Amino acid sequence: MSSDGPSYSQDTIAAVATAPGRGGVGIVRVSGPGISTIARSVIGHLPKPRYASLVRFLGDDGTALDQGLALYFKGPDSFTGEDVLELQGHGGPVVLDMLLKRIVGLGARIAEPGEFSKRAFLNDKLDLTQAEAIADLISSGTAQAARSAMRSLEGRFSDLIAELLATVIEVRVFVEAAIDFPDEEVDYLGDDRVEKQLSDIRRRLKDVISEANLGALLSEGASVVLLGKPNAGKSSLMNRLTGRETSIVTHIPGTTRDIVGDIFQLDGIPLRLIDTAGIRRTGDAIETEGVRRAVAASEQADLVIAVVDASLDKPQQKLDLEELEAASGAGMVIVSNKIDLAGAGAYEGIAVSAKTGEGMEALKTNLKKHLGVDGSTESGFTARTRHVNALEQALAAVDKGHGELTRNGAGELLAEELRFCQRHLEEITGEFSADDLLGEIFSTFCIGK
Amino acid sequence: MHADVDVIVVGGGHAGTEAALAAARTGARTLLLTQNIETLGQMSCNPAIGGIGKSHLVREVDALGGAMALAADQAGIHFRILNSRKGPAVRATRAQADRQLYKAAIRHMLENQAGLSIFQQAVEDLIIEGDEIRGVVTHMGLEIRAKSVVLTVGTFLGGIVHVGMDSHPGGRMGDAPSNALADRLREMQFAVDRLKTGTPPRIDGSTIDYEDLESQPGDEPRPVMSYLSGPEDHPEQVSCHITHTNERTHEIIRAGLDRSPLYAGVIEGVGPRYCPSIEDKVVRFADKSSHQIFIEPEGLQTNEIYPNGISTSLPYDVQVELVRSIKGFENAHITRPGYAIEYDFFEPRELCPSLETKHVKGLFFAGQINGTTGYEEAAAQGLIAGLNAARRVQGKDFWAPKRNEAYIGVLIDDLITLGTREPYRMFTSRAEYRLTLRQDNADRRLTEMGRELGLVDDRRWRRYSEKCEQIESLEGELSQRFVLPGDNDIEVMLGQALSRENTLIDLLKRPEVNITDLVGVVSIAFTDTEVLEQVEIDCKYEGYIARQTEEIARIKAHQEMPLPQSLDYTEVKGLSNEVVQKLDQVRPATLGQASRISGVTPAAISLLMIFLKKTKKGSLQKTA
Repeated sequence: MSSDGPSYSQDTIAAVATAPGRGGVGIVRVSGPGISTIARSVIGHLPKPRYASLVRFLGDDGTALDQGLALYFKGPDSFTGEDVLELQGHGGPVVLDMLLKRIVGLGARIAEPGEFSKRAFLNDKLDLTQAEAIADLISSGTAQAARSAMRSLEGRFSDLIAELLATVIEVRVFVEAAIDFPDEEVDYLGDDRVEKQLSDIRRRLKDVISEANLGALLSEGASVVLLGKPNAGKSSLMNRLTGRETSIVTHIPGTTRDIVGDIFQLDGIPLRLIDTAGIRRTGDAIETEGVRRAVAASEQADLVIAVVDASLDKPQQKLDLEELEAASGAGMVIVSNKIDLAGAGAYEGIAVSAKTGEGMEALKTNLKKHLGVDGSTESGFTARTRHVNALEQALAAVDKGHGELTRNGAGELLAEELRFCQRHLEEITGEFSADDLLGEIFSTFCIGK
Repeated sequence: MHADVDVIVVGGGHAGTEAALAAARTGARTLLLTQNIETLGQMSCNPAIGGIGKSHLVREVDALGGAMALAADQAGIHFRILNSRKGPAVRATRAQADRQLYKAAIRHMLENQAGLSIFQQAVEDLIIEGDEIRGVVTHMGLEIRAKSVVLTVGTFLGGIVHVGMDSHPGGRMGDAPSNALADRLREMQFAVDRLKTGTPPRIDGSTIDYEDLESQPGDEPRPVMSYLSGPEDHPEQVSCHITHTNERTHEIIRAGLDRSPLYAGVIEGVGPRYCPSIEDKVVRFADKSSHQIFIEPEGLQTNEIYPNGISTSLPYDVQVELVRSIKGFENAHITRPGYAIEYDFFEPRELCPSLETKHVKGLFFAGQINGTTGYEEAAAQGLIAGLNAARRVQGKDFWAPKRNEAYIGVLIDDLITLGTREPYRMFTSRAEYRLTLRQDNADRRLTEMGRELGLVDDRRWRRYSEKCEQIESLEGELSQRFVLPGDNDIEVMLGQALSRENTLIDLLKRPEVNITDLVGVVSIAFTDTEVLEQVEIDCKYEGYIARQTEEIARIKAHQEMPLPQSLDYTEVKGLSNEVVQKLDQVRPATLGQASRISGVTPAAISLLMIFLKKTKKGSLQKTA
């Protein structure tokens, strides 16, 4: 039988291998052919295989980012079957982020969900029975990553990137038209329009990167939306989870008319908890709008906590639950609240009392499980690192292309760099094909004979 | 009865001629069937070969031993380099050709190709047994058997010619369509659709007043198309001219729109976005008060010219009026009215990379039948289809270049992966490896492979080998010779002092240094401009080429992993319905092709990899 060769992949991947949050130890795992270069740059040498050594992790200016253990596994005797380097630092999201960035700067790329396991399987390190589990990991991980990316892309950040991409495509339309249609009467590379747009793109990219680095635009942590019928006790549950009085709690149904959010730590994992208006049909315009927003919020959430009033009779609980399932745009954890009340009985889900605190530990454990914070799936944190990295690469490409045009008049090299720039931005927004670009050219210019 | 052959090629246009020549060159007994021997190598549209993206294809066909570039050199009466001031990767060559000379050159090559015979017969039916082709039936009822058949029938399948509201069946103005064959193919399981294209009215050049028109002479030194040609192979050279439409022209067109088959809804085929009719341009870009027209000579022995830029299907009386509203054309006489033509094409996603149809084994399609437009696109497909038709007979594996090897690879991969909604033509922006795929290095990319495939003759191989040796020797010399600070000639050339010791190749990397000056200053006696050019480009693009080479190597393993044609995509766990549907429609040959289908995500590709590995491991365990 023929062999597939030693490895399927020629590039090096990296990711934070521990759960996000303020844990004791944070591990960055790197796999692929670039290990020795990375090890030499970050810790000064390639460690002896399978021995833990205490080292300093160096930044690109030579200063120490952190101190910790380095472990090197030489392929094929490693988890993935490739050369693997594990750097165990003192955790802390900021330090891990800097370390990951440093490694990406040395030629690695951030791993896709499930990619370490995928490589392990393809390199015969995992047996056949695990194929299904990896397939699951990839599809659920990708869905989760898409959700994280979307959430991190909410609002202004998303608009900024979309506008940037539009400008890049607009410049490409001119640059590519100048190359593919030189018989047309204007040389777009010659006029200063392209140069002005390039300067504009650079400035805007720099702004977005610095804002993103400050965390001002990208939300961090998973988002969890509380959804329930009016007066099911969503606001009480929120206050119990966060330990704060964020939501106004009254016994009048429909008190929470808008969306109320708060950030809290679930064992070190940052969560954005969002309380919403109760789901019901109403004539009140403001409340109707609140319900619309609740449904919209659930669509952007990582997880929905469906809150059902356990003091109602069971057929009613069942009906309420069905209504919530229809309204929810994300996976749900079902919670039966108010079990402290006389005669209450949970129809389905985790029985809790927001009032007494009963069942809260079970709820928290369940939340962690559903949010996949065991390190196997992509967190909003990784999504952010990925985005910032893509933006930085996009900027580097525009810088280089701009230089090629102004110094050497090399329009074809500018075109090449702009193609790269667009590809990096598309890592955030999704794809725009070569044929789409031609379509833009043909609708912008009257071209052809 | 006609004697059996190995390969039958149906059609004698640009696809058909390259297909027949390629098949015969590899040793297959080949028969070229054409409706009319007089139209072999006919240029049905404008009399030009090459252009951006297209001369890249012509050079690749040439590097693989094809005919088009050689014929263009023997027939070219005007040559220009396009994008001469932009980088070498996007430079292109365009030739205006004398139609008669071009046809004569092609016919000469066909008639003198060993193993190839030509027969004037229209094909009316295909002989198919099971799911395999066995031959063709001609209109005389002759059955001719063959193991492979290449169909290159251009716009002749169900062709309808439109001039104003009048229309009639036709494959080209003056030629009958192939309706019996079209009907036969429509009965089969091929997905068929309609496209349209058009031509402008031709004009008697002696009725044009050139006095005030801008003249555009060809370039000097004069470029050539083929790696084997020199300017001495060219006939007499002439100039082109340029004129423009004006507001009055546009008024005339607008007034005639109600009698345009395009706008009256008579034409259902989709036309190309980049080659719009003049009525399209006037409607879609209403704010533009003028459009450019290139006046292209049709040949040395005729006065007829081709006014490129006013392709139209407006009625004849409107054509006369609009032509005469244009500067220089005030007294112009139209020799042939412009027309639009609609024709059948087949869904190219039903083709393998070899251009063999998935439905009928041994049946190959090339050219406009696959939804492309352009002589160059047709020639490129013809060569690949003819080659593989022959290889099939010879029991060899098919060959087609990959996207990173040739524009031919981009063309075929785009067609079979993405399909097309309009007549497909090549642009450099379609190629992600544009800096590597240049017209200047097509021979270095393909000639060795061509030699291995049996397409490249001794003469071409010798020329190519010599060129490579010279490149190597010059590169060696430049990287070994040092210049020191204080070297007067060098510092004069640079316009500044050297700060340290440099190799000559280091100096050449500087954007302001060109190779001709450099070898002059250091007295290296190299005169072959092609060699100098290669060394210079290799040096200037070094960083970019290295990056592309790295990227190509990185994804190579995935790209080439084969996907079984029988794969049931619904069994691949985790794929969305949308992705399953798309994969099922295209049935990609490799994982790389799958990844280029729009909507197929990287995660879907990972899932496919896991599935393939799992299936393989499973079967291994069973056999163990």
